[in-house]
Amino acid sequence: MPEHNEYWGIPLDWGSPNILVYSVMFLAGAILIFRFYLRARLWWKIGRPEPRWNKLHLRFYNLIKYSIVQTRILRQKYPGIMHVALAWSFFIFFLGTALATINTHFYHFLTGLVFSLYKLTLDVFTVVFIVGALLAIYRRYITKPDRLTYQPQFTWSLILLIIIVLGGITTESLRLAVEQPANAAWSPAGYLIARAFLSTGASAAALTNWHLGIWLVHLLTVAFTIVTLPVGSLLHILTGPLNIFFSELDRPIGQLPPTPTDREGHPVYVSKLNELTWKQILNGDACTECGRCQDVCPAFGAGLPLNPKDLILGIREIFEDAKLSSNGNSFDKSLLENQKLNKEALWSCTTCAACLTECPVLVEHIDTIVELRRHLVIEGMIDPELQDALTNLGRYGNSFGQSPRKRAKWTQEIDPPVKDATREPVEYLWFVGDYASYNPALAEMTAKTAAVFNHAGLDFGVMHKGENHAGNDVRRVGEEGLFEMLVEKNLSALQRCQYQSIITTDPHTYNTLLNEYPFSEPQTILHYSELLAQLIKDGKLRFTNPLNYKVTYHDPCYLGRYNGIYDAPRYVIKATGCELVEMPRNRDLALCCGAGGGRIWMEEGKIQERPSESRIREAMELDGIQHFIVSCPKDITMYQDAVKTTGHESDLTVKDLIELVEEALEDSTY
Amino acid sequence: MTEIVVIARLVPDLVEELEIATSGTALDLAWLRLIINEFDNHAIEQAIILKERSGATVTIISPEAEGVEDMLFTTAAKGADKLIKLTGVGEEKPTNLSMAQTLAEIIKEINPDLVLTGVQAHDDFTGDLAPQLADLLDMPYVGYISGISLGDGKATAYKEYPGGILAEMEIALPAVLGIQSSEEPPRYVAISKVRQMMNTASIEDRDAGVLETDSGVVIDRMYLPEVADRAEMLEGDEEEVASKLIAILQDLGLL
Ligand code: SF4
Ligand code: SF4
Repeated sequence: MPEHNEYWGIPLDWGSPNILVYSVMFLAGAILIFRFYLRARLWWKIGRPEPRWNKLHLRFYNLIKYSIVQTRILRQKYPGIMHVALAWSFFIFFLGTALATINTHFYHFLTGLVFSLYKLTLDVFTVVFIVGALLAIYRRYITKPDRLTYQPQFTWSLILLIIIVLGGITTESLRLAVEQPANAAWSPAGYLIARAFLSTGASAAALTNWHLGIWLVHLLTVAFTIVTLPVGSLLHILTGPLNIFFSELDRPIGQLPPTPTDREGHPVYVSKLNELTWKQILNGDACTECGRCQDVCPAFGAGLPLNPKDLILGIREIFEDAKLSSNGNSFDKSLLENQKLNKEALWSCTTCAACLTECPVLVEHIDTIVELRRHLVIEGMIDPELQDALTNLGRYGNSFGQSPRKRAKWTQEIDPPVKDATREPVEYLWFVGDYASYNPALAEMTAKTAAVFNHAGLDFGVMHKGENHAGNDVRRVGEEGLFEMLVEKNLSALQRCQYQSIITTDPHTYNTLLNEYPFSEPQTILHYSELLAQLIKDGKLRFTNPLNYKVTYHDPCYLGRYNGIYDAPRYVIKATGCELVEMPRNRDLALCCGAGGGRIWMEEGKIQERPSESRIREAMELDGIQHFIVSCPKDITMYQDAVKTTGHESDLTVKDLIELVEEALEDSTY
Repeated sequence: MTEIVVIARLVPDLVEELEIATSGTALDLAWLRLIINEFDNHAIEQAIILKERSGATVTIISPEAEGVEDMLFTTAAKGADKLIKLTGVGEEKPTNLSMAQTLAEIIKEINPDLVLTGVQAHDDFTGDLAPQLADLLDMPYVGYISGISLGDGKATAYKEYPGGILAEMEIALPAVLGIQSSEEPPRYVAISKVRQMMNTASIEDRDAGVLETDSGVVIDRMYLPEVADRAEMLEGDEEEVASKLIAILQDLGLL
């Protein structure tokens, strides 16, 4: 009966090979742990404290999901398959080695069929590894995507892994060649190579010698790889899972943390390395340099001076500098002086969350960006346009610098009159938002929304001058004090109203109300797309004029990625009788329009292609699309501009969801 | 240490719609919201810039009005050291001379090297607060200044004349300067800083004493600009307005 044969072919006069193997591995392991400890302890030593030890069950769940199953990595086909081929095969090899050790020292079970299956699995994963390695080689040296880092350490890592695996399969096949055991066919790949060895006509003794040599190389390569792990690109094997384990669980991504305070209760406006939390420093060390974030970043794509990958690696760079000169007082290194994190980079971010959604090791880019922005705001390092917007928001509660009394001016034309929710109870309190309230170009849209609500027989009202900008993007700009002030104003206005649900037009408003407002009682907060879908389902909106348009739909970041609302708007579009054709970047892959995170208030900077223009081009690639449907007032202005600047005015019109609904209701009905 | 005093006034905010009171000779105060006089805001910024450049103690003096505390705390957040509020200023606007007399008393105690204020305010008829003050303090005055650098016992002030001519003038200190604009646009100050000042900074109240409100000028009537007959208002949305405009220009033979 075939069984596991430990240390086949290793001369017995070496004493027990166990001693050799275990001492080499033990030493390598100890060096690894020590070197890693030297690095890791500095995260806690330099960084601000931040509790991330709660909800352990979820943390382990994430660890399995993202580090072992690697669902994030698998979001992208080629690099996904490539990576899991490499990683899973090593998991199997590791497991195989562990089982062999157990078999040898504790419980002898690798015999018969179990042993054959064991061999088969290892053999299959060797092939899987080779496929992964070939994919990696092709990608790194032939297709060379821009997003990768091209440094020798990556090549070295790949070489080491390949040597390890080839060493493993070669020793195995040499054993098969000499032993020719009954279950050789269970190692098909190994056996194939064994046949090749046999065909050379080499003697059994020669093959056994070769085996010894290669076995030693294999052993030493493994040891070398382990020892160098903390300094090479394979470090992510340790830091990645740690970063995943400690990822944020207490807040949804739509909720930013408040300005942190130090022990004396003073606010910390982060601008130095030691003002970051240990987790933010760990982000830098965990980055695998995969460049997924860079690929999806609208700011980077537009040619703005922000690359989320570089930004995170900038933290690592500063950390490493501080570590090298670790006499203890170099921990307060400035972050902003680093080219990768300078203020131009920070101001370029639209907080679209595409990077967060893509990062395989759950790096939290936006928290760090906003914390650094808070410092810039406190220091007054903001551009004049943003300064005007913030001044207006502080004084008038809107970025347009208009009188609060004019907020509901658009209602003057509406019949029946829109209720004032601060004076009479309503079922739905409509939080209209700045753009829909003040932008003259959107007045018609806002009126149509009211008309549709009336058509559906909704009992709704607005807060007139009681409504202030909700503050979502004020917070993301880093003006936390102003955000708090706006929240207080809105909450006190809302407290004066009687309502059952809040409807929002603007996804940004929706996000902050839903995720950030400290309501004293639970609230029902709806985006109008959700409300429309519900009204259609309930039969309160019946379409008598089915539209036969071919349309595409743009997911707003704060509705889609931030809050997972993808289906409601699509349901509404289809209910109006339109044919919906998806853009390649749809749902959580949707490209940001470029307006978020306060970008709409800032100087645009030197831009190559606006994200909104890239998006319109994407839509134009689809066959015969008539309308580009949006569900965010800012998107109307962003995309109408983009349609003009890309010269597609005659081919494509930008429409709000509400316009489709209104049209499908047929004008005669109201 | 250089002592700088800045006079900062609140004026009606033109973003809000102005209403005329039933008397027909004044603005309806019930509808008014006040905002810092833009020129005074530049004067404050200029004072802070000087403080940052070469060190100074900056005192802000403001006549009492609704929202003046917030405004003063904002200046403190920017870097002002002392805040003074003139109390007992009635709703009716005092004359500049009388206001200057009250201010001069306080300013003399401070004994400043430089007194800055906005060169004008849009609710001011005569625009002579700063020159009156200079006269009472026996200091030189220059108005429409857009930049200052301090030297030993003197200041160099920059003044822009129409046609882009820039004058550089040396002024013996102490002096009163009317500011047209600061060297850098007024800075933004984060709300949390202002809120922090509300808890830590203090405002000194000073009684304005008796203020004269009769300037000898009698207002017959105050009214919003009326649409003159000659003007034709183009109504409609952008498209309509644009096409009407084109038609008119074509009629006139300009297109
Ligand atoms: S949030 Fe969006 S814009 Fe900001 S770094 Fe991430 S991908 Fe780029
Ligand atoms: S931050 Fe995340 S997505 Fe970006 S390069 Fe690093 S590991 Fe990849």
